[in-house]
Formats: sequence, C-alpha cells, structure tokens
Amino acid sequence: MTTQRFAGLSRRLLRAGVAPRHVKRLIAELEAHFADIVAELRSTGRSQAESESQAAIRLGTEDVLAANIIARPELQSWARQWPWLAFVLLPLLALPLQFVLSMLAAIGVFNFSTRVLGLTALHPGAVPWVVGVLQTYGVWIAPILAAGAACFLAARRGAPALWPIVGSALIALVGASTNASFEWSPAVPRGALSGGIGFHFPDVGTAMSFRAAFTLLIGLATFLWMRRRVNGENQARSP
Amino acid sequence: MYGYELAHAIRESTREAISLGEGVLYPALHALERRGFLRARRRTVSGRTRVYYAITPRGNRRLGELSGEWHRIAGAVRAVLAET
Repeated sequence: MTTQRFAGLSRRLLRAGVAPRHVKRLIAELEAHFADIVAELRSTGRSQAESESQAAIRLGTEDVLAANIIARPELQSWARQWPWLAFVLLPLLALPLQFVLSMLAAIGVFNFSTRVLGLTALHPGAVPWVVGVLQTYGVWIAPILAAGAACFLAARRGAPALWPIVGSALIALVGASTNASFEWSPAVPRGALSGGIGFHFPDVGTAMSFRAAFTLLIGLATFLWMRRRVNGENQARSP
Repeated sequence: MYGYELAHAIRESTREAISLGEGVLYPALHALERRGFLRARRRTVSGRTRVYYAITPRGNRRLGELSGEWHRIAGAVRAVLAET
C-alpha cells in the first residue's frame, strides 16, 4: 500500500506511462529503504523528525526520483510503448469478440429455453426479451464499451489524444455496421437468429451514421471527462 | 542484496566518494532486471518484505565486458597523465 509520502510520486509515474507493476514495486522498495535509513539514523541517537528529514535527503527528492525513473524506457508500460495496439487494435478486436459472445449467449438461452424448459413459439416466455437484450448489447453497447474503455484508459494514463480518437472512430464505424435479428414465431417454430458485420444499403445513411456518431460521441466525452478530472487532480495537488 | 544493503555497500566501498540519491538505485536495478542482467526475488525477513537482487550469468558476462572496457580507458588516462 502506498503511503502518503510516495503517493504523489506514484501518481506522477503512472501518468508518465511507467508500467503499474514497476510503480508498485518501486514505491514499496522506496518505502522500505526510507524506513531502513530512519532506523539507521535513530540508532545513532537522532530524533524521529530529524531522521525522517535526513532519510528524505538521502533517498532523493521526488523530482530527482521521478526524472530517473521516467527516463528509463525499459520501465514504460506496453500501452505507452505501443499506443496503437492498446488504444486502437485491441479495443477494435474486442468488438467482434463481444458481438460473437453475445450471439452465442443468445443461442445458449434459446436452446436452454426450448430443450430444457420446453418453451415454444406460442409460449415463448421471456426468451424474445432476453435475446433482444443480448442483441442490443452486441450491436449498441459493445461498441460503446470498447470505445469508452479505450478513451478512459488513454486519458487516465495521459496518452496522446490521437490514438483513442482514431480507435473510437474505427470502433464507431465497425460497430455501426453490425446487425442482428431474431425471429421466433409459429411460422418459424425452430427460431432464426442472424447476425453479422457489414453494410446494409437501405440503412447506410441516417441510421448507421447516427449509431457511429453516438458511439464516437460517448468515447470522446469519456476521454474529455477523464482528462479534465486528471488535470483537476494534478492542479489540486500541485503546491 | 536488497536496495538499502546495496546503497550501504556502495557508500562503504567507495569511502563515500560516490554520493547519489539512494532512491535512484531502484530504476537502475529494475532496468538491469528487464535486460536480464539481474534476477529479483521477493523475500519476507522478520515480517518485512524485501526484494533481493542477484546477478545472472548474462549479467556476469556484461560486467566482465564493462570492467574490461573501464580498465582500458582508465589505463589510457593514467598513461596520458603519466606523460604530463
């Protein structure tokens, strides 16, 4: 656990893109080192306050420590080293993955309801509603979550705005091109679930643009909100 | 050795000729570990968790190279100073 003494350094390192695992261990080591110096000085008869003050000098100022750590490229997080991977490619790949998982979940719910619970097209119970929720997740919520998460993490880590914006735009575009439908009626007693990623020409105009714009807007709003919050925290902590 | 012991050893072996913020040891240790020159092991001693560092065979080879380089440079500087 980070004590107040090194809390500022910890935040500063994380914002500068140092990998969280290095930050955690560095802070733990600095805390232990500080305690060792204090114990050493106390054993020579110095007071607690004087020992702590001397220990802080021996360890180095926060500026010196931060500069030395940040200057090491080996300690940077992978998101800082490959922002295109962290904030564009991975969120983009997470989108079809979430879509496929939501479709598989819908198939699972349908199969369970028909084979185990014995529901039919005439007595479907809550199946159409549950499948509808899963479809909504795959088509609407998954792109928003992918873009929002990329923007949230990018702003929190102080990453340049370019990559989350590019990532959000691509996610918004791909997300808007996903579609899914479910039909289960006496005419289709075995049910039909379809889903895919592609352009459906009568809908390309307004509907698709609206979905893309909505996802992009949520992503960018998340980025701006988080960045503003981080900046506010920094200003509040600066002397 | 863990960080505090290392800082203490540096101070003693250099007779305090090298004075550095002891905290700057840690980024160097982490970087050497990332390059495979050091191995870090977490151990709990007397209720306190410490990270002990040990040199790896690769680190030993690199140390040998750097020591050789240093001796060549130091020898050259000594030779130049002896002539003046």
